[in-house]
Amino acid sequence: MGRYGASPSLHGTLWQPLGAVEGSVAIGGVLPSMPLNIAVLVKASLDPNMIRTGSDGGVDAAATPLAISEYDKNAVEAAVQLKEKHGGRVVAVSALTWGPSARKRKELEQVIREALAMGVDEAHIIIDDALIPGDPLLTARAVTALLQKLGGFDLIITGEASMDMISGQIGGRVAALMGLPFISYARSLEVDAGAGVVRAVRDLEESLQTVKAKMPAVVSVTGEANKPRIPTLLQIRRAMRKPVKTYSLSDLEVDSVAKPRLVEMKLIQVKRKNVIIEAETLEQAAEKLIEYLEQEGVLPK
Amino acid sequence: MYGVVRVLVYTAGPAQLRGLAGLVAALGASEAFALTPGREDEVAQHAYGVFNRVYRVDAERLTPGQLAELLEGLYAEHQPDLVVGPAVKDGVDAGSRLAARQSLPMFTEAVSVELFDGGLRVRRQVLGGRAMAVLESGLPALVTVKPQLWEEKAPSETGAEISTVKPPAALVEEESWEPKKREAVDLESAEVVVGVGRGFRRKEDLAMAEELARLLGGVVGASRPIVADYGWLSEDRWIGISGKKIRPKLYIAIGISGTPQHMAATMDSKVIVAINKDKNAPIFQYADYGVVADLYKFLPVLIEKLKEKLGK
Ligand SMILES: Cc1cc2nc3c(=O)[nH]c(=O)nc-3n(C[C@H](O)[C@H](O)[C@H](O)COP(=O)(O)OP(=O)(O)OC[C@H]3O[C@@H](n4cnc5c(N)ncnc54)[C@H](O)[C@@H]3O)c2cc1C
Repeated sequence: MGRYGASPSLHGTLWQPLGAVEGSVAIGGVLPSMPLNIAVLVKASLDPNMIRTGSDGGVDAAATPLAISEYDKNAVEAAVQLKEKHGGRVVAVSALTWGPSARKRKELEQVIREALAMGVDEAHIIIDDALIPGDPLLTARAVTALLQKLGGFDLIITGEASMDMISGQIGGRVAALMGLPFISYARSLEVDAGAGVVRAVRDLEESLQTVKAKMPAVVSVTGEANKPRIPTLLQIRRAMRKPVKTYSLSDLEVDSVAKPRLVEMKLIQVKRKNVIIEAETLEQAAEKLIEYLEQEGVLPK
Repeated sequence: MYGVVRVLVYTAGPAQLRGLAGLVAALGASEAFALTPGREDEVAQHAYGVFNRVYRVDAERLTPGQLAELLEGLYAEHQPDLVVGPAVKDGVDAGSRLAARQSLPMFTEAVSVELFDGGLRVRRQVLGGRAMAVLESGLPALVTVKPQLWEEKAPSETGAEISTVKPPAALVEEESWEPKKREAVDLESAEVVVGVGRGFRRKEDLAMAEELARLLGGVVGASRPIVADYGWLSEDRWIGISGKKIRPKLYIAIGISGTPQHMAATMDSKVIVAINKDKNAPIFQYADYGVVADLYKFLPVLIEKLKEKLGK
């Protein structure tokens, strides 16, 4: 892999005929008939398990660490599996939506490294204070502009929703802005490369719906789509050498717009008794628990 | 209330019109239009008087792409201040496309919606349900809401004028469609819920939880992996931000780690009990009473003791 910066071809004309691109040769050395160009949209989300708050109970976003959004890992896994099957390349695209950007860009880079270690070939990230705090309207415009600049994708895959804001809009917005078909909430997905078709099972509240669309297309996947791989140490080390390129909104010719105001974000307080039942034996523990439940008046009369 | 407020409502099916009409009434909209697929009789039943017109799409159901395309036509015709859709998967999908095409801010699954002079204020759960965000934006804007939240506010009179429209061609083609299994359990109004998580190793082992639920007069619910990954239980038993919200007198969470996405939907429980073999599991922070034990050893004992106690 060429080191980022050393390769001007990263700019715009990324998609050389795939046989010529290093690292795209399929298992066994046989070049597949139709390798796939896949973009995967990855968010560095505030980690809901590591929330830091100020004295007023407000979420301190600056102090809360970023992590790869849970379902975007499924998106990465889906993309890498398709690459392994059909050949091709996977590019990760991400926009930083939490600040301060000077500090958070490091955390974003960590997130991107994780995706690279899972098998993504290179990453393109957007860092611009106008995107912070994130709003799907502007983020989707920026991501779309970057995808168009890179060009030539057969599939764009993302997670069903991010684990911090849970808006679930980016896939649909990007598809609509690009005029592409969109398949949301896919719990399985396969490509018929010959026919240029993607087929998926959408996991809806009341039904499972099997759909197909012509590629290029945008797909969002659910947490059930696969089991994201855990990269090995070697893969993590190798990921350090994979190219990452950074853009600002002006690089992408995207104008910033008035965004909704995030007035506040407060932790929902839970007041619980937090009694841990200590007992010598399981019998005693069960008896104590039953006693407590009786006191609470929640046992059937 | 705040001058003229024009609302465009859309649904994935006519039953959702009830709650959305409730929200339209609560907002005091001066004009409202609705778009819904569905059979003629069903739509007529939900053609609430708050709507100036209901556009019925002559189809049992629509793809989100078709819904978005029809919405765009109505958006151009009526120039609404606010678009309101259902916070279901197809509703969010269709909304996100319209929002992108019309450059609208969009708020997914708002739990409150208020209009103030020239603007919109919503509250929504974020961070896996651990936090509540308040957001404000100008109009026009789009929100999706759980229709159930406004059903009580739904006006009783119907009779809005209905026009029938034809569905457009779909970019994403449906090849097959299969309804999910239902068990007709009502988790949301159950007084006692026994929740099962990945601490259970086999489907058969859930029998212990069922027995416990039966003794306590409750029902069995589950964390997402039990339903969605393993398919051991049906969708209507899924507890969490992407499943059902529960408000029982007693919630017993067994072999559940206590992630925010699960716990957010259990906050209204009166008493929460956690049974988990890991004393550091986050579930204990959310519990009134915790038992640190292997569920395979503890549940049989608890069931025996309860039988003695309750004389069953
Ligand atoms: C956007 C988003 C939405 C989501 N929505 C939901 C949702 O609606 N509902 C939901 O539930 N999840 C949801 N999740 C998933 C959630 O983050 C967790 O992955 C899931 O809730 C974990 O389920 P669990 O607690 O059963 O499993 P785990 O986290 O694996 O926990 C299993 C627990 O069992 C304990 N255990 C193991 N063996 C035993 C034993 N023998 N005896 C006793 N204890 C044992 C372990 O100590 C562990 O604590 C969502 C995630 C995201 C990102």
